[in-house]
Amino acid sequence: MSRAYGATGAVVAVGCLLLFAPGCSKSLEGTSGSKTTEQGLAKPAPVTLPGEERVADEIVVAKAEPSSEAAQTSKQRSQEMQMEQTATASAGLADVFFAFDSWQIKDDGKQALSTNGQWLKANAGKSLTIEGHCDERGTQAYNLVLGEKRAKAVRSYLADLGVDTKRLAVASYGKDRPFCREHSEDCYQQNRRGHLVLRVK
Amino acid sequence: MRMSPLSKIIGAVVVGLAGAGLTGSGLESDAADVYLEATRPDVQRIPIGVLGFQDGATAARPGKEAAEVLAADLRRSQMFTVADSSKLGLALTGSAGPDRQKLKQAVESGVKVLVWGTIGTRDPDYLLDRFIYDGGDDGGAGKRYVGPASVLRQMAHRVADELVARYTGEPGIARTRIAYVSEKKGARELFIMDYDGHSSKQITSDGFLNLTPQWSPDRKYLVFTSYQSRTRQNIEIADLATGKRSPLVSLSGLNITPAPSPDGTKLAFATSQDGNSEIYTMDMQTKALQRLTVHSAGDLSPSWAPTGKELAFTSDRGGGPQIYVMSADGSNVRRLTFDGDYNAAPAWSPKGNWIAYVCRSEQRQYKICLISPDGEKRAQITSGQSIDDSPSWSPDGRHLAFSSTAGGKTHVYMVNSDGKELEQLTFSGTHNSMPAWSSVEAPKVESQAAEKK
Repeated sequence: MSRAYGATGAVVAVGCLLLFAPGCSKSLEGTSGSKTTEQGLAKPAPVTLPGEERVADEIVVAKAEPSSEAAQTSKQRSQEMQMEQTATASAGLADVFFAFDSWQIKDDGKQALSTNGQWLKANAGKSLTIEGHCDERGTQAYNLVLGEKRAKAVRSYLADLGVDTKRLAVASYGKDRPFCREHSEDCYQQNRRGHLVLRVK
Repeated sequence: MRMSPLSKIIGAVVVGLAGAGLTGSGLESDAADVYLEATRPDVQRIPIGVLGFQDGATAARPGKEAAEVLAADLRRSQMFTVADSSKLGLALTGSAGPDRQKLKQAVESGVKVLVWGTIGTRDPDYLLDRFIYDGGDDGGAGKRYVGPASVLRQMAHRVADELVARYTGEPGIARTRIAYVSEKKGARELFIMDYDGHSSKQITSDGFLNLTPQWSPDRKYLVFTSYQSRTRQNIEIADLATGKRSPLVSLSGLNITPAPSPDGTKLAFATSQDGNSEIYTMDMQTKALQRLTVHSAGDLSPSWAPTGKELAFTSDRGGGPQIYVMSADGSNVRRLTFDGDYNAAPAWSPKGNWIAYVCRSEQRQYKICLISPDGEKRAQITSGQSIDDSPSWSPDGRHLAFSSTAGGKTHVYMVNSDGKELEQLTFSGTHNSMPAWSSVEAPKVESQAAEKK
């Protein structure tokens, strides 16, 4: 509210300083009649006199509206994620873990994916999202790309097993949605994963 | 342009008041590197005294905060050493300004510039009158700033910027802002704070992931990556004045690390629509895309040279991530970093002479490094046990903001480009990262008009 006033006042005053327009003195007199305020009737408009400089918030910041697609509330989203988690667990889908800085699928990962592949063949109507995750080391930006490489490595391994890639969406969360938040190798190992999520819709 | 009084000041005895000490965290400045000489500001610091702002007639007593903001700004500017004003014998009393003779003596004894002022009210505004004495004939010349109480800190910042401009001819950075990513209920939301960490404001509230913010050169917009759904990420633009958001890049796959060109006509970014991450530019008018990199490895994090003619970027085409440079049309690709097996997140300095980036040290720590665009000079400017990330230059090229896990949690810090005067900027929450420093404001017509009067 006061910010809006300030901005208006600044515009008027700047115009006056620049132009020395005849109309300006009038508007200044008009706005400097602050007697009403002293009696508590109205808040006076801000005034900027010649020789003064008004300081305004240079970067006015409004809270951004949620993006349209993301307008589904976080509550709905977390419900959906909860359902997916339950479905994924009951299907017995196993995650794939990676070595540091690597997106190569290790032997234990191949084993897990072969089991996952069999399940997918037996449940032809089901689709997965493969999420790529990273540990906290390295940069946030590069880890987004590394996470995507991990997710795509999982997808391509499943495709080689004969799963239609149309059923396999990929996403990367880099290191920004960790499973574990400790600063330890044990925790890092859990975060370097291709996380399989069974979609519920 | 007015003559800078700098010539008068240069060569004066510099009082060795080093700036603020290091923070108590595990993060350490590294000032031992010989190469760092090259990053040091070439201007000798000017001793300055901030005598305070008399505010006896103002109920809220804003004088103390204004003086603290001003002194902190002047210290951060790297142009001044701020003298301990209590030792100058120039305490302000009553409504009269400081004694003229004592001002003269203080200047003669080495504190070259003295600044003080008064803060009064003219409902609904504060009136901040500032006075400067530097021994010149216009000694004690006053100037009045007006604004509502909500911009008190900005008014003090304005005085700091004025002093920096007066003695160096460069615009100050005290009214710049830093955008950053902060954790909110497990989500990553965008925030904007003053450059000194104050007045933080939340921008997005999606409840999911918003990452890699950057400012438009005119400071009116943020561009960033927003997870539209859990499998889809767009680059969006948010109009800060209205809060309106719109998609800019909605290609399939991961669309990340947007970077507006210095003139604002293009947006460089990385997209994985071709299968792996590649760098493109988009014309902001026509929305026409141009692919710059063609390589089966991951290319990301483009950062424009201030000329707009070249881009630095991260690529793992050599195995691990390294910094590369290419022309703005994608030609003349050359590898810039060869030290270590992990170098990423380049940020080209506004003066063009350095590229800051994240380097992995011999101790396997992720630190902030600088390299000259010809690759000949290199310096590591942070040290210690932490993961430092996302360096972003101040518009004067004298500071870097970055994130660090030094205190256990991830917070945004500021450090001089020579590795000195480390300062923590965020304190709340558990995760504050990806700082992006705004440009400095365009010179305003009205302030010039006021100066000339």
